Amino acid sequence: MTQTDLAAFLAHSVELESEARERYLELADAMRAHHNTEVADFFMRMAHESGLHLEEVAQIAAENALPDLKPWEFDWPGEESPETASYEAIHYRLSLRQAIQLALENELAAQAFYASFAQSSADATTAELAAQFAHEESQHAAQLSVMLKELPPDDAHHREDDDDPHMPE
Amino acid sequence: MNDVITFKAKDYKSGVKPIWCPGCGHFSVFNAVTKAMAGLGMNKDDTVLVSGIGCSSRLPAYVDSYGFHGVHGRGLAIAQGLKVARPELTVIAMGGDGDGFSIGGNHFMHACRRNVDITYVVMDNEVYGMTKGQASPTTPMDWDHSKLTPHGPGVRPFKPAALALAAGAPWIARAYSGNPNQMAHLLAQAIEFPGFSFLHVLSQCITFCPQQTDWKAIVNERQDAALEDEDEAARLFLHEDGFQTGLLYQRQRPTWPPEAAPPNDPDLTGGFRL
Ligand SMILES: Cc1ncc(C[n+]2csc(CCOP(=O)(O)OP(=O)(O)O)c2C)c(N)n1
Ligand code: SF4
Repeated sequence: MTQTDLAAFLAHSVELESEARERYLELADAMRAHHNTEVADFFMRMAHESGLHLEEVAQIAAENALPDLKPWEFDWPGEESPETASYEAIHYRLSLRQAIQLALENELAAQAFYASFAQSSADATTAELAAQFAHEESQHAAQLSVMLKELPPDDAHHREDDDDPHMPE
Repeated sequence: MNDVITFKAKDYKSGVKPIWCPGCGHFSVFNAVTKAMAGLGMNKDDTVLVSGIGCSSRLPAYVDSYGFHGVHGRGLAIAQGLKVARPELTVIAMGGDGDGFSIGGNHFMHACRRNVDITYVVMDNEVYGMTKGQASPTTPMDWDHSKLTPHGPGVRPFKPAALALAAGAPWIARAYSGNPNQMAHLLAQAIEFPGFSFLHVLSQCITFCPQQTDWKAIVNERQDAALEDEDEAARLFLHEDGFQTGLLYQRQRPTWPPEAAPPNDPDLTGGFRL
């Protein structure tokens, strides 16, 4: 992707926000099915926030003809879009603190992605939009940091299970 | 298949909520299946997902296409029969390493040999997840976390790609649940390949094998083109560490049956002629 291409930038932004929303919804449902209600509620809240950002980005994108990229044709810095929680980081016994930490990392990754466009794009509109999106992500990150500070530390036993799936070590 | 992308991946989700453990690699395969279908613009009404039994085999219920949740180890038999009877359909068989290499091992070898034009996805987590963590044919010899094999299974694990090659599979690729976009691309190629395409997916079982999160650091993407030479592929599959992803081997050969019945032929027996 050329970093000056507004249409390509918007296509990536829409995909980034919609993948983040889909993954949070999926995680919320999975956590609820496994009775981790507080983390399920938190992921649902994140899905809602990603949905709001998606609406905003989609509205801007609607004024442009976006390239029809196949899901594997997006050019992400890692394996998946930056705001998407990777499956390796998830566990049914995730604590609320760990879930917020994960979401914070996602917001920071999205911020870095948008900021790289803001810095490198030769196209003024793209750079301006990218800076705006990066700023919004940094605000989300700041909110999550506050939530983390207000939470008590994790109970050391939060990962214990009465019916542990493993042999005792 | 349409030329224009009309659907997004989420449009191929059935709305049935997966009950897999959060963090299960099978979520990623689900993600890749819907992305491949969207990327190819696949018609839901012409697509059938067939599975056996296991956590992995639940996947067809979550996709908005036709599906058949079959009998343990028998997904391939059902899928091949369906494709022979209805060659105009896109048929994707799927399941776990227990389903495909233990109870269904014989079907696997003969499906590779027969070369019916279907795709087979094995979600390999080196364990029987659904029945609470027993050793499977791909479990490492010394994996001692199961109460049934407290000192490890003590037998050599299968090499699925080597087995597939020896049995005659013309298309062999490997994907990893940590990279659903690469997996979606491989799956799209598998679906488009005219013949039996075997996609071996390293799909972590976060609950019974949490150590599999370490795969992220070991998995490496193949940079070279797929091998076409069987001897070279045999050397690769026998000696590799099993963590190389990408399209590994591809060599087209005639599919079975030799003369497929024309689509919608009311005489179903035509497709079974030898
Ligand atoms: C005929 C028969 N034998 C045994 C079982 C019990 N069984 C259910 S799922 C399963 C193994 C599943 O393991 P795998 O295919 O690797 O899938 P995973 O659950 O790990 O995704 C077994 C042995 C069964 N359902 N039917
Ligand atoms: S037991 Fe393992 S394979 Fe089954 S859903 Fe849970 S993580 Fe996935």
